[in-house]
Amino acid sequence: MIDEIFRAAQKITDEAEVLLAHSESISADLKQDNIAIGSRTRGSGLIIRVIKDGKIGVSCTDNPQSWKKCLDAAVASAKFADPVNWKGLPDPQQLDKKPLAFDNRITPDPALVMNLISRLKSGAETYNADITSGSASLAWSEHTLANSHGLFYSEKGTQAQVGLEMIAGQSTGYESDSSWNLDNINPEKTGEEASFFAAKGQNGEEIKTGTYDVILSPQTISQLLDAAIIPALSGRNVHTGRSFFADKMGQQVAGDNISLIDDPFDSRGLANSAWDGEGMPVRKIPFIENGILKSFAYDLRTAYRYDQEPTASAVRTGQSGAPAIGNHNLLITGKEMNVYEEPGIYVHDLIGAHTANPMSGDFSVELSSPFKVHDGEMSEPIRTGMISGNIFEILHKIDGCSKETKTLGSLIVPTVRISGLSVIGRA
Amino acid sequence: MTVPYRYYDIRRVTGEVTQIDVDNGKVEQAGSSFFDKAVIRVLGDKGWGVFSVSGEEADYEKLPEKLIKEALDASSITTVNISLQDSPSSIHKVPSMKENPADVSLDEKVSVLLDLYKHTEGQDIVSRRINYIEKDEEVSFSDSLGHQYDYHLCRCGFSVMAVASRAGIVQMGYERDHTISGLNIRHRQELASEAAHRAVRLLDAKPSKGGIMKAVLDPELAGVFAHEAVGHASEGDLIKEGSSILKGKINELIGSPLLTIVDNPSLPEFGFCPVDDEGSETKRTEIIKNGVLMSYLHSKETLASIGHGDTGHCRGMPGVEPIVRMSNTFIENGDASYDEIIEECKTGILLKGSRGGQVDPGRGMFQFNAEYGYIIENGELSTMVRDVSLSGEILQTLHTISLIGNDMALHPGYCGKGGQTVPVTDGSPHLLLHNAVVGGCEID
Repeated sequence: MIDEIFRAAQKITDEAEVLLAHSESISADLKQDNIAIGSRTRGSGLIIRVIKDGKIGVSCTDNPQSWKKCLDAAVASAKFADPVNWKGLPDPQQLDKKPLAFDNRITPDPALVMNLISRLKSGAETYNADITSGSASLAWSEHTLANSHGLFYSEKGTQAQVGLEMIAGQSTGYESDSSWNLDNINPEKTGEEASFFAAKGQNGEEIKTGTYDVILSPQTISQLLDAAIIPALSGRNVHTGRSFFADKMGQQVAGDNISLIDDPFDSRGLANSAWDGEGMPVRKIPFIENGILKSFAYDLRTAYRYDQEPTASAVRTGQSGAPAIGNHNLLITGKEMNVYEEPGIYVHDLIGAHTANPMSGDFSVELSSPFKVHDGEMSEPIRTGMISGNIFEILHKIDGCSKETKTLGSLIVPTVRISGLSVIGRA
Repeated sequence: MTVPYRYYDIRRVTGEVTQIDVDNGKVEQAGSSFFDKAVIRVLGDKGWGVFSVSGEEADYEKLPEKLIKEALDASSITTVNISLQDSPSSIHKVPSMKENPADVSLDEKVSVLLDLYKHTEGQDIVSRRINYIEKDEEVSFSDSLGHQYDYHLCRCGFSVMAVASRAGIVQMGYERDHTISGLNIRHRQELASEAAHRAVRLLDAKPSKGGIMKAVLDPELAGVFAHEAVGHASEGDLIKEGSSILKGKINELIGSPLLTIVDNPSLPEFGFCPVDDEGSETKRTEIIKNGVLMSYLHSKETLASIGHGDTGHCRGMPGVEPIVRMSNTFIENGDASYDEIIEECKTGILLKGSRGGQVDPGRGMFQFNAEYGYIIENGELSTMVRDVSLSGEILQTLHTISLIGNDMALHPGYCGKGGQTVPVTDGSPHLLLHNAVVGGCEID
């Protein structure tokens, strides 16, 4: 079919690209103590992109058999696009095609899902709290990316995921874990942590408004990065006047020992691949190195439009199937330390982080599962509180990072200690 | 082959999405994509079996046995017996559109948007973007009870973003409008200009100070408040799971006696459901009436399990099983005028527009952010402020509503839950809260 598409496209366009994906999954949903839903999914997707005189057109469909309609729509959409100084889709390269995120033990076996659920539940018994909902799922997929230059990359991938929500009184606890590799997913620990935050979060005291040292969980850090930092690294936002970092290349934008690096081959990644969403060979990109802003992220369209070097940062997400600028495994690193050694306020999660101001980085959001930290541990729960400040300024206030990290989507994040954040209390 | 199911339903959604993206004067994208997804739900001996496939596989002629069998297999791992409440089933007529977007060429839509784009210019404006989206859906539903519904619904809308920058300060103005009543991009130059004007005015706005104060919420933000603070906590699935502070509170006074909150999926607004996604008739449900908790929002499963309320609130994205959701959620009009509310506030803050919100219904905490606001001094608006948020405890905050306006307005948007996003509207008149916990980026 792919050859047929290229033959048809050749007559009417300069270049064409096809992404054909097939995926299946099996999952179980817990409602309180019981599995209430068993699910399976099976689906395919076809995305066609064409380039004609520097104009890019794209379309996608759930029914690959109806590729003709999809190709027509892609060609039609190219008519309206403003042209870029297009320098071509990538040529095929000698890449190691061995899948980097595929575990052949992950199959549609209900027993495997049941096993994850029972391990999740056994971990959840560690502390005294009730399960409200939870899930375990296993997925496998195959992607083929091909273009009219003869590039043809195909790859299988797998993913296992567990998540659990618990409650004790009015205290809630949520935790999740995912990996492509069955050995690297830890349902027991996920259950234990959800029960810890629910059980230990009860009967918290209110705190006074003031400036505190805070310890931010990987989940919290990832939400702050998503809200303002990652958008500001996108080349498209940089060149269209929407990035705080636009005029700061080569300048100090974070503490001396803070680095923000996209490492597509980091073994902790969820979906590593040797090529990006457009078939460009991926490589390590240091966005921020020892506090200095070093690079922005580009897909082909943006690099060609603004005459920049592509960075193989294309991902396939949005509804149209068009490649967009993203990252593969974004790591934040700093001075390694025991982040709990000194007193502070631990923040497990945020309510409403997406409401931050994406341009300025100013935010003011409610805390989830906050604790006072004393003598190296979470000593007592805090009832409520808001933190406020500026996400870009936080990069300058990082004291250090834990050795242990958590992988959350395309981010690999430690627990981070920050000095001097405003906390609005209700005492 | 006979398949031992107790119930099944199948929903197939076929359609086309058209998107146009005008970014800094360049048409970055303008085109259509196609989707066709189906989901089959079966109730086996115990719980649900759900099977999601591409729509082609779920062709009605070939349907039942094979797909039902696969869904039933999926249910084999369930460990709890689920029962369903019988519910009234019927479909509301989809109102006709003033101008069907499908009748307007892509060419013409692009030129209308490029004209709107011109109206986002201004001193200090450094970035401008207009996005258009149109989602045209054919929905087919049938179930083992013999119901069958087919309807066509087109949702379309646009957003305008303008970014202003001066002396190192960067601010954003954002406007959007989405509808089910047909193409809505013509003659909207004023809305486009408003995004630019707001961005520029925000450059001179002061960062707000956090603290406990009187706050006036505009209809858009108060609608988000109704949605986040009350709507989610009244969803029957959360009540059943034990993760809502509204559990066990039916017939209790939980807020100001002035307060009535409704969810009405039968209203022909952006959250409109002609029939819900498990075949139940949709109608108005009063969640809170005069401050008393009256009803939860339900699916057939949650109503059978916990009672109190109506079915008709079960919705799913194409190809995904439906769950309990809101649709058009709003606070009913009171009798105070806007002027009376500002005057009565005397000293406090007016919060306007919404950058979204979030709730933890089990803990009963909510947070949301206004786009901007004004300090109120001596019963009059004074300084403009930015980055102002409101958070607090649901049950405490509902009692702090001291005046409700008579100027209810609905605002379209999208709501996420359980990984699914559905179109909704939120609405309210102006509200006055005493003792609101307002967050800002400056503290004393």
